[in-house]
Amino acid sequence: MAFLELDGLTRRFGALVAVDQVSMRVEQGEVRAVIGPNGAGKSTLFNLINGVLPASEGEVRFDGRRLNGLSAFEICQLGMSRTFQITALFPEMTARDNARLAAQARLGGRWRPFGGGAVFAEAERRADAALERLGLGHVAGEVAGYLSHGDQRLLEVAMALAQRPRLMLLDEPTQGLSVEETGKAVETLTELLSDGKLTVLLVEHDMEVVFRLAQRITVLHRGAVIADGTPDEVKADANVQSAYLGGFE
Amino acid sequence: MDTLAFILTQCVNAFSQAALLFFLGCGLTLIFGIMRIVNFAHGTIYMAGAYLGYTSVRWLGGFVAALMVAPIVVGVLGVLFELFILRRLYGRDGNAFLMVTFGLALVLGDAVQVVWGAPPLQVPPPAALAGIAFFLDEPFPVYRLFLIGFGTVMAIGMWQFLERTRLGLLIRATSQNPDMVHALGTDVRVVRSGVFGIGCGLAALGGVLAAPLVTASLGMSLAAVVDAFVIVIIGGMGSFLGSLIGALIVAFVQVFGNYYLPEAALAFMYLVMLTVLVVRPGGLLGKEE
Amino acid sequence: MRGWIILLAVVVVLAAAPLGLPLFMMTLLTEALILGLMAMSLDLMVGYTRLVSFGHAAAYGLGAYSAGYILLHSDTPVLFAVFIAAAMTGIVAIAAAWVFTLATGVSFAMLTLAFAQLLYAIAFQWQQVTGGSDGLAGIPRRGGPFGFDLLTSKIGYYYLVLLCLFGAYLFCRTLVNSPFGAVLRGIRENENKTRALGYNTRAYKIGVVAIAYALGGLAGALYAPFAGFTNTELLFWLFSGQALIMVIVGGAGTLIGPILGAALFLLAQHQLSSVTETWAIYFGLMFIAVVLFLPEGIWGTLMQRLGRKTQRV
Repeated sequence: MAFLELDGLTRRFGALVAVDQVSMRVEQGEVRAVIGPNGAGKSTLFNLINGVLPASEGEVRFDGRRLNGLSAFEICQLGMSRTFQITALFPEMTARDNARLAAQARLGGRWRPFGGGAVFAEAERRADAALERLGLGHVAGEVAGYLSHGDQRLLEVAMALAQRPRLMLLDEPTQGLSVEETGKAVETLTELLSDGKLTVLLVEHDMEVVFRLAQRITVLHRGAVIADGTPDEVKADANVQSAYLGGFE
Repeated sequence: MDTLAFILTQCVNAFSQAALLFFLGCGLTLIFGIMRIVNFAHGTIYMAGAYLGYTSVRWLGGFVAALMVAPIVVGVLGVLFELFILRRLYGRDGNAFLMVTFGLALVLGDAVQVVWGAPPLQVPPPAALAGIAFFLDEPFPVYRLFLIGFGTVMAIGMWQFLERTRLGLLIRATSQNPDMVHALGTDVRVVRSGVFGIGCGLAALGGVLAAPLVTASLGMSLAAVVDAFVIVIIGGMGSFLGSLIGALIVAFVQVFGNYYLPEAALAFMYLVMLTVLVVRPGGLLGKEE
Repeated sequence: MRGWIILLAVVVVLAAAPLGLPLFMMTLLTEALILGLMAMSLDLMVGYTRLVSFGHAAAYGLGAYSAGYILLHSDTPVLFAVFIAAAMTGIVAIAAAWVFTLATGVSFAMLTLAFAQLLYAIAFQWQQVTGGSDGLAGIPRRGGPFGFDLLTSKIGYYYLVLLCLFGAYLFCRTLVNSPFGAVLRGIRENENKTRALGYNTRAYKIGVVAIAYALGGLAGALYAPFAGFTNTELLFWLFSGQALIMVIVGGAGTLIGPILGAALFLLAQHQLSSVTETWAIYFGLMFIAVVLFLPEGIWGTLMQRLGRKTQRV
């Protein structure tokens, strides 16, 4: 039994089939990328996995547990943290408070209506560690809304990391970044993922980023899986070539 | 009185009531749809319309003149309010608009009292509409029949305006994506000023039309703003068709509720609204914000 | 530390007020503190969670009618009656909030309004319990067993109100600075993200609404025996709007600001209405000016000028 299993996952919006019978297996410690042209259903797939949208058909199993019917926050509590394609932060809080609130979600006293010194201290420790790993230590005290776009993208990853997740879903971490910023972000992410302790599902547009970060790639086209394999296998796949009209070169 | 005649009478009452409520509701929903502003002063503007109608009838001597003058005067005031006050607040959160329009309601409400005094004022319906028509041996006030006709004509007219004209298209586009409209070369600020003016003008028009039925009084603003909100909430914030449906529902609940269960009519109206919101949080034809 | 000293000084000054102020001023001050409690409770929703309510009069009215009914129909001492009424309001609010939180944004605000107006309609019609349009009259400030007879006097009652407000303030301050409060701020800034982070945001919202209504109910419950009567005005939407204005004029998200806003509101109403018939005009203009020129409210702006963004994360 794999760590994350999708079985015949399908989502329809009226007549449109956004995600069509998607099945895949992700093992623990794996960095898996989901790629595909615009509108291939990648973000919808994420929304199905973490419970933002209910599936029309099929099921998701995470560490042996069926996730259908659970809401996003419950799934998150099982150890699955995600980032969003469009940056979602708390813009008026500092970067540290953003990460702190993320970390707090995993602590027993997260709801306590009084005191909470110990909760805050532990959350802050985890937050600072996560910020440090993504190279954001020097901006921890800055208000998130004023950070550069690149730092905001990384801050979202740091927030996911501060939750000490068992599975991270990263939705286009380099979305909207300049070439320079992308380079820096990929550098940071490569380092983060190099120790093989994190299990990551990654949606990405930028093929260079995908080939540097992922060990396995699943290709979606019009909602359905058309290829699945190592980067080299996927590159050579004829279906993929035609879906992308001219391949990756 | 036989059943058919009774139902007919109640329906005439309800439909004429719906016509008044429609003017109230569609102005509010238009303003919300385009500007994302919850206009708390809407009922007070409706009341001001009724009082202006009274003065127009006395000075200009004609109800038709009042129907033109009061909405235009109020509409212009609305545009000025948008230009000098609301315009400074775009980019702030909704609380700011809420409070400013609440302030406007206080100011306008008291201004009306200063100008026209506290006692309610009777506005006679125009002579041609003052009579009673008989149908199935039942008397029907001609004025109510006129309201139904006028409301229908205006509703169809506005619907066609929004669907068919360039200006209508512009308004609908602005409600969906103001930034895009702006980028395509239309000054959204002008659209906003205009829409706020039109919305206020519509409320005033409703006020003028209501005056012969209910007399112009200071109390009508509170009742009106609550009715307007209920209509728009039931129909869906920002939906033109929704305000029409909302007005019909509220009018029928009020008229039939008042007949059968006068004690619970008020509560029943809110229950209908709560039920709609629970089933469809954005209203019948609205999208949830 | 300096904050605590100032706070203590304010409480001492307020506690000493009966020594220096004539009785009619004490009446006004008592009412200001009661309204302050009401506005502060609304601030938990509006300022800290950005749950805008058009219907906080529901909390106040529910508290007032409950306390009034208990005092009129039983021998319960006033001290117990107000707390029972507050608790009842909070419990009703849990059910109401369950419904409110089906919606968000403007629809949420409208649901709070609908609930308040529903209560208004009920209070208007349910003659036997609520007294209908006359309301409840002759509500006693009944003393109690252990020397609570103090509370029957105007000054004694003032101290009860002061104590309630002070206690509620400390409670709210603890709440907004707790882990629970941190989540509320998350909801304020980005509810979807907060949910994605693993928080059951709806439960937090129901929680804060229940607390806000219980404290608003406490304010109403204190008002009923203070004024000696209740009427449907207490449930009317106009009052909800006024409460919202107190919060925003004073400074949403500061707790102190709304209390100040309530006091200013009452003072302005009192002063202006004795000078001019048309006080609401000046009142309205004042509000518009505050919104235009002091977007953070009076207290919020003051704190900003002093360079301390207190309470705001």
